[in-house]
Order: sequence, then C-alpha cells, then structure tokens
Amino acid sequence: MSENQPYAIGGVGAGAAPPGGRPPQPPASMAVYKRELRRETRRRALEPEINFLNITAMLDMMTIILVFLLKSMSAQTASIPQSADLTIPKSILTTEASQEGVAVLVSKSWIIVDDKQVVPVPGDPTHGVEGKYKRGGPNDLYITELASRLQSWRDRDKQVRASTGRDPSGSEAIIIADKDTPYRLLVEVLFTLGQTEFNKFHLMVLQGSKK
Amino acid sequence: MEKLSAQQRSRIRRLSQPKELAPDEEGGELNIVPFLDIITNVMMFVLATITVTFTATIDSFPPRAGGASARAPTTPTLGLTILVVPDGFSVKARGGNVAPGCNDTGPGLAVGKANNDWDYTTLTACVRKLKASSDAFKDETSVTISGNPNIAYQTIISTIDAVRSTPDPSGKDIELFPDVSFGVAR
Repeated sequence: MSENQPYAIGGVGAGAAPPGGRPPQPPASMAVYKRELRRETRRRALEPEINFLNITAMLDMMTIILVFLLKSMSAQTASIPQSADLTIPKSILTTEASQEGVAVLVSKSWIIVDDKQVVPVPGDPTHGVEGKYKRGGPNDLYITELASRLQSWRDRDKQVRASTGRDPSGSEAIIIADKDTPYRLLVEVLFTLGQTEFNKFHLMVLQGSKK
Repeated sequence: MEKLSAQQRSRIRRLSQPKELAPDEEGGELNIVPFLDIITNVMMFVLATITVTFTATIDSFPPRAGGASARAPTTPTLGLTILVVPDGFSVKARGGNVAPGCNDTGPGLAVGKANNDWDYTTLTACVRKLKASSDAFKDETSVTISGNPNIAYQTIISTIDAVRSTPDPSGKDIELFPDVSFGVAR
C-alpha cells in the first residue's frame, strides 16, 4: 500500500455513510496517520524517571567492610570493663593483642580466673594476698586457691593441645591487672602460673601514650 | 491538512498507550530506605556511646626465683637486670651494679628520679649505652625486671616500654631489650 493512498481500517471505507448521520471522515493518508501516531506516542510516553536507586552493589561492599571492621575491632579491642576497680595500664606498644590463654584478672578487690572470683585482694596488697591463701604463709609466693583453679584449666588445655597437635608442655595466660597492682602481688600471680605449667604470659595493656 | 478518521484516531489512541510493565518486569525490590534510616540512626548512637579501647599484650615468661642459671655462659653476656626501687632504677650488668651516670660499676642507683618522677628517658639512654659497650652484647635482647613490693604495675610496664626500643635519629626503632622476664627478689 502506498503512503499516499487512503488508509482504511476494518472495512470502513470512504463513502460508506451511516444512514441519517454526518458523512464519515475519509481516512487520512498513511503518512499523516504515521506522523500522528508518532506524535501521540511521544506525547504519552512516560517521563524517564528513576523508580528506585540500585544500592545492592553498595550494600554488598558495606557488608564486606563491616565484617572486616568488626573482625579487626574484636581482635584489637578490649572487652574489659574499665572501672575504678580495674584500670589496665597504658603502654606505647602497638602490636596486636594475643587472645590465647586463660584470662587472669587482678583487680583492686579480687583475683578472677575465667570470670570466677578466686582469691580476695586485701586493702593493702603490698605484701600480696593474705597468708592463709598461700601454701607456706605470708612470705610464700604460691597462692593455693589460684593454683587449683588454674590446674583444672591447665589439665583441659593440655588435652586440647595434645589433640590439636600443639606443644602440650605449657599453656599460656593473659594477665589483665589493675595499673596500681603492687609488684609483689603481680609476682605471686605469675609465680603461681609458672608453678602450674603456664610458660608464657601476655600482659594486657592499653595502647596509648606513656603515663 | 488531512484529518484522521474515527478509526484512525481510535487506533492511534490504542497504540500510543504506554506499555504497562508486568510485575515481574518491574524492579521488584524491597523498599529498604526506611530500614536504612533506622540503621543509620542506631549506628550513630552505638558509635557515640561505646568507647573503643585498643589493647596490646606484652609477652613474658615465668619469674625466676634466685637468679643465676646453672650453666655458665661461654661468651660474655650482659645479663641486664633492672630493679625498680622507690627512688629510681638500679641497673645490674655483667654481674656488677652500674654506677650513677651509667659509665662504670659502683654503688648507687644508675638512674635516679627526675622531678620526683621516674626518669624513663635516662633509663633508655643508659641501657642503650650498656648494649653498645661491646659487640658481644649487640644480639642480646633479654632483660630481667624486678621491683620493690610496692612498685605499681604501671611503673613496671613503663619500664618495660623504656628498655624495649628507642628511635634512632632517622625515626626508625632500634631494638634494645624486648624479651622481658620478671625476677623475684629474695
């Protein structure tokens, strides 16, 4: 069909007038029809709009970053309540904290192993814990109660080490002590750890400037 | 201008309708914007309230009761021992007491207090001088730290920091005595 020929649809051709009405409009040429169709399609076309922002890729990245952030924070940060009873000392050291070993807390009031209070710290701890908690009286370094608690932990750790192929000859301990702990008390704790086959100590400190 | 017939107009209306997308053709995503708003607010509060403390650990070994090892070393060793006392630091090296000034052996405290405070800078300079006094000591990294019973843990840690390393003029750290063990005074 030529573009200039009249365009009839559905058999309604030119000259087919309904009885008693206006004569029907003759169909326009194909060129006119197509032009009108294009114009109308353009007019009615939806405005190009952004229905939603595709943030899936960004969320993927954010999730990965968050996982790494949490992982590094959990490795480097202390889950230690800083209070008047336990304020750990500051050090210029910036290495990563070790997480291996039994946690021994020495606060101003208690020696705590694995979240259990073991031995009370006296008001004046310059001479260590009270003599009744030590094997040979006030001058001894061996804290009996602490040793028995550590020994049970050591026995468990020895089995774990043997079954996982690590050296079972000694265990490790993380010492979290208050900054005002006197040297005598610290040495009593370390000596007791040494006597119960703990051969490496990690002294927990806060990364910061020298005090 | 030619006019369109009724059928043509009708057909144009029908064909020019914008296509409705089927539900599966639309970007059928959850509207998570309100959720993200909440998360952002919660995150801000969480970050504002927590105090992040970064920790490190100093590795050490059990204290030795006594002191001298059973077997005498075949090469000369420094055997550095630092005793923290209320008035300063007493330094022992090669079996002798280091005299004040860190130049010779003799009685007295090698490093006294300065302005009623522990003089960690002078202690660092002292142990550096002792380490540099002979080539035989350059690979020695162990130090024994001991203290009076009433010396605070913070002082012990700061002493360990003072003898661990020191920056050289270029800013690079020179390792001094990073391997710490604790001594027990009998």
